[in-house]
Amino acid sequence: MALLEVDAIHVFYDNIEALKGVSFSVDTKQIVTLVGANGAGKTTTLRAISGVLHPRGGDIRLDGESLSGVAPHEIAALGLMQVPEGRRIFARLTVDENLAMGAFRRRDRQAVAEDKERMFTLFPRLRERQKQVAGTLSGGEQQMVATARALMGRPRVLLMDEPSMGLSPVMVENVFETIRAINEQGVTILLVEQNALLALSIADYAYVMESGRIVLTGRGKDLLDDEKVQRAYLG
Amino acid sequence: MSAVSESPPVHRSSVEGSPLNRALRLGLVFGAIAVYVAVVGILPLMDARWIVVDVVSLGDATLIAIGLGAGAAVAARRSPGGTDGFLPLAAHALLAGAVAGGLLALLAIAMSVLDLRPIFIALSPVLLETLTFGLGVPLGSVVLIVSGALLGVLGAALSLGPVTIRKPILIGLAFVLFFGVFQELIQIMMQFGEVIGDLRETIFTWEGLNPTGAAIIFVLSAGGAYLWTKSLRAQLHEGMAHLSPAQQSHVRTLKIIIGILLVVLFPIVAGPYIGQVMMLVGLYVLMGMGLNLEVGLAGLLDLGFVAFFAVGAYTTALLTADSPHALAAWTSIPSLSYWAAMPIAILCSVIVGILFGIPVLGVRGDYLAVATMGLGEIVRVIVQSDMAAPLLAGAQGILQIPKPRIGNIELSDPVSLFYLTLVCSAVAAYFAWRLENSRLGRAWMAVRDDEDVAQALGINIVKVKLLAYGLGAAFAGLAGSIFAVMLTSIYPSSFQLLISINVLALIIVGGMGSLPGVVVGAIALVGLPELLREFGEYRYLFYGAALIIMMRIKPEGLWPSATRQRELRAAAGELEPDEPQTAPAGVETPSFATQGLEK
Repeated sequence: MALLEVDAIHVFYDNIEALKGVSFSVDTKQIVTLVGANGAGKTTTLRAISGVLHPRGGDIRLDGESLSGVAPHEIAALGLMQVPEGRRIFARLTVDENLAMGAFRRRDRQAVAEDKERMFTLFPRLRERQKQVAGTLSGGEQQMVATARALMGRPRVLLMDEPSMGLSPVMVENVFETIRAINEQGVTILLVEQNALLALSIADYAYVMESGRIVLTGRGKDLLDDEKVQRAYLG
Repeated sequence: MSAVSESPPVHRSSVEGSPLNRALRLGLVFGAIAVYVAVVGILPLMDARWIVVDVVSLGDATLIAIGLGAGAAVAARRSPGGTDGFLPLAAHALLAGAVAGGLLALLAIAMSVLDLRPIFIALSPVLLETLTFGLGVPLGSVVLIVSGALLGVLGAALSLGPVTIRKPILIGLAFVLFFGVFQELIQIMMQFGEVIGDLRETIFTWEGLNPTGAAIIFVLSAGGAYLWTKSLRAQLHEGMAHLSPAQQSHVRTLKIIIGILLVVLFPIVAGPYIGQVMMLVGLYVLMGMGLNLEVGLAGLLDLGFVAFFAVGAYTTALLTADSPHALAAWTSIPSLSYWAAMPIAILCSVIVGILFGIPVLGVRGDYLAVATMGLGEIVRVIVQSDMAAPLLAGAQGILQIPKPRIGNIELSDPVSLFYLTLVCSAVAAYFAWRLENSRLGRAWMAVRDDEDVAQALGINIVKVKLLAYGLGAAFAGLAGSIFAVMLTSIYPSSFQLLISINVLALIIVGGMGSLPGVVVGAIALVGLPELLREFGEYRYLFYGAALIIMMRIKPEGLWPSATRQRELRAAAGELEPDEPQTAPAGVETPSFATQGLEK
């Protein structure tokens, strides 16, 4: 059974159908990516999973348990942690405080402290800037804060929304290397990206979205070679 | 003035143009302030208060300060390189001061030529005489311009002078100002004992500070400040450094104890009037701490805060009063003592706070401010309405609320009620401090900074917001409860929107999110205006001016919290550029790979 299952969900903004029966699944320890153009419905899908939007039809299940009717903060508590689009770190708080926010639901102080230590091993730059106000960090560093913050919640699935957005090309490479490194430690990742080339190259499995539907599925590497995908997204 | 010269360089970059232009503009700004003070009519009132009897009035001091300020501002805003020598700077300061004085001279001329009194009632012949030093308009105007220019140069010189000289002078002047303006209160305090009485007679006449007294105070305070900056402070720090950590903490405890003793003993020495003022400050501190939880921590801009204050007061009144409207008069609920009623009042405020929060849960930012303002007014209107009159007595209010008693002692005078407020404030401050550093406090900060992300991190924003309203309301309810027994009768008209605005203003001036800031803000915005009663009708004018000045030169507040200080420092331009060339990522960290994230 898949860890996260999205089963034929229909999502509406008022009367406009944004998702027209989207289904996919994420298995444990995989990187699964949703790629597609702007407005294809990728972020809407993530918002439905995190409980902010409510599908009118279909179901979303984590470990076989339906998430319908579960409040967004409860969904986070169940282990779906987000790295939001545009990072959205707490700009006025320090790096340390940002990480502590990620562990908000956890009561195991000892383990939280250990996890924080791991974050600093993963992102040595953040260790140097522990006490610094996060808003003063560079874009790449802020992305690290947002990622580390989500990881502090010990996610069962890490939901990443456009992590490459607004970063310099070198930084983008770094972000994707980090994503792979995190995944190698056993974290399941659902990655939503416009940068199809990079996303497909690290994904175990990929779904291509177009106007609210999934139009193509396959292993990341296979899609990378797919003629249609190449024409549509990779130029 | 020291605030101007020592202001952080945040806005310096925004002042464009040549030094000449800047001087001109600053002169106009300060001149406009002077004209405004005169036209609005504060100046004659200030003139009625001597600082040094028959020598300098508060009005004179204000005008002098404006002249000095113009010069100091020119000096403070000189080009960051600062290579230009003193002479050109002095010329610019001279110009600024002359322009400021010139504007006043223009006002004087306008007053003598035109009949402005039908529009500006404050522009009386007496004012004209004061402005022109009794020399008549032509000569007086020249004197105004010249003295403005001289003051400008003096201000610039003062602000450029070494700290060891500038600071003692300013401190000396501040002390003279303080002793002069508050002479009445200080004279009351100095009525004990023969030595102090003699001292009082040397310094004061019955009207106020005499020149000898002013000189003595200036020399003593300036001299003390000089010694302090010169050597005493360094010696003291060195002395502290030699102590063991245990001893240092003893010294710290001692300081705190002395501070507490001062606050506790002060109203006894100072008399009931000061006690009354301190009590009012205490009530606003209580409310400020509550609103601080809502606005400062949780970011919920609440302009209906007075509603909770009203609930606390009315609950206390209904439970304890000896009145036909009290619950005891027409239900089987017995008339309660104050100590039993107070917790119930707090509880009722919490409940109302939570109910108050529910309709505005989804409202954010500016809209929230307006919505809560409406809610606050609704509470007042309900209390005032004829519909609720059988229960809450409507506009007639509830009378005969008994004073609290401890055993056989009735806490009836302002000083003992001040102690009640002080104890309550101390307990409340402890709770506020614990809350700030709690899980809930962190959740509030997350909601304040980004509601959506807070929710995505597992924070129940509904619960957290309602708790902010409820707990904030608890502080206001406690304040309202004390307010009821202070006045012994309460009316709906005591719970105006202005109270909400006062509380908000004091936490902004004190420093958003900072506990000591609440105290400082309450003293500045509630205590001071209360002591300067005759300026009562100008209180909101002062508020406006104080708020604008604060936002310009010290936006973090008088005593900011650590977080706010950090933010503003960050905003001031210590941002670091993106450095993409440095590789930060995880591939180079094998230690992480071996540890694994999931245990």
